[in-house]
Amino acid sequence: MLHAVGALESGTCKYVLISYGHSARSGDSMLRMLSDMTGDEAIYGHFGAAGGYALAAQRAMHEFNTGPDTWKHIAVGQRAWANLNPRAMMYDRRLTDDDYRAAKWLIEPFRLFDNCLVSDGGRACILTSVERARDLKHPLVTIMGLGQHNPSGDLQKADYLAGPTGAKIAGEAAFSMAGISREAVDACQIYDCFTYTVEITLQDYGYFEPGGGKDWFMGGAIEPGGRMPVNTSGGLLSEAYHMGLTPLTEGVMQLMGRCGPRQLGPETNTKTPEIMLCSDNGGILQTHACCIFRRL
Amino acid sequence: MGYAKPLPQVNADTRPFWQGCRQHLLKIQKCKNCGLLRWPPAFICPACLSSEVEWVVAKGRGRVYSFAVYHSAYQPGFQDELPYVVALVDLDEGPRMITNIVGCDPGGVYCEMAVEIVWDDVSEAFSIPKFRPLQGEG
Repeated sequence: MLHAVGALESGTCKYVLISYGHSARSGDSMLRMLSDMTGDEAIYGHFGAAGGYALAAQRAMHEFNTGPDTWKHIAVGQRAWANLNPRAMMYDRRLTDDDYRAAKWLIEPFRLFDNCLVSDGGRACILTSVERARDLKHPLVTIMGLGQHNPSGDLQKADYLAGPTGAKIAGEAAFSMAGISREAVDACQIYDCFTYTVEITLQDYGYFEPGGGKDWFMGGAIEPGGRMPVNTSGGLLSEAYHMGLTPLTEGVMQLMGRCGPRQLGPETNTKTPEIMLCSDNGGILQTHACCIFRRL
Repeated sequence: MGYAKPLPQVNADTRPFWQGCRQHLLKIQKCKNCGLLRWPPAFICPACLSSEVEWVVAKGRGRVYSFAVYHSAYQPGFQDELPYVVALVDLDEGPRMITNIVGCDPGGVYCEMAVEIVWDDVSEAFSIPKFRPLQGEG
């Protein structure tokens, strides 16, 4: 996104397409990518992103007493959004607290529903200048703020698994550029490879103190009708895994008012959004990007 | 029976480490310029950028920084070991390394648990360092 803005501002091009497509579910390339990512750690049976994030989540349980009681709100809340999204892989599957608890462990402390989906498909968005976008058919959505922070390359040197992750500095940079406080945000689309990722990202953005997520997520806070809608397509957990394009495109489409039954506003008993906060992660919390969008 | 799990892919950076392991010596790098003890091995110091390095033997004790219990085998060779524990262990010397916790019930592992090294001689060429709960005096 930052590169796209640079290319547009410098006059290098007029339009930038950001796209992602993958046959991850029907092919084996996602598995191979995760195996490559594991490297020599495979000798211990460590595997891919799930193994790394499980280590992060376990440390967080030790440091600030989070755990399944917090994460269930994220899994169940996002599923409620997916149930309003006919394109979501989990559209016709309900998920309750009991279902969450009854699910098998994969890599403990993660149960099945703490893990994102593996999907076939893709996403894309097009960036151009505000001047050009004014003449196009969709409502105008602008970039208010961007921030990135990439704290490490190696899991064995990562001191931030239980936060503060790159989200803290990236978030501060994005809010600073936008000139707003986090209270001005109407809804969030948070990269959610695992439930814990949503918690630690919102925690590092400052929405609650370490461990405060357990209360913050209660009462359907992120669900339809909630005070802070999060991952309104169902997200990577319940809609489809298209890397950072799942949260990013959902954020923009919500601001444009193109989301049908799950549209934020009167239809879902939520505030009609003007400002949207989106995030993306890479590696095991090793890179982070934050983006704040605004509907003009 | 052959060894069904992945073996180390030795490279120039890690060769001295694995050679040490074969002799049951847990070797880590020490920067000759700034003294930083580091893991994983690298040809340049992440703190001072010096490429002058020596290998020192860690005594093989540490604490569990974090751990994960695998209930699913993502690699077939681990099927018979389920559930097994992958952990990040902070060595007393400082570096953090990924390993297995063995010799105890996975449900008994916890963060900050004191552990000590135990060697798994998996082939003629390789011994793999794993950790178990610290036994005897601390």
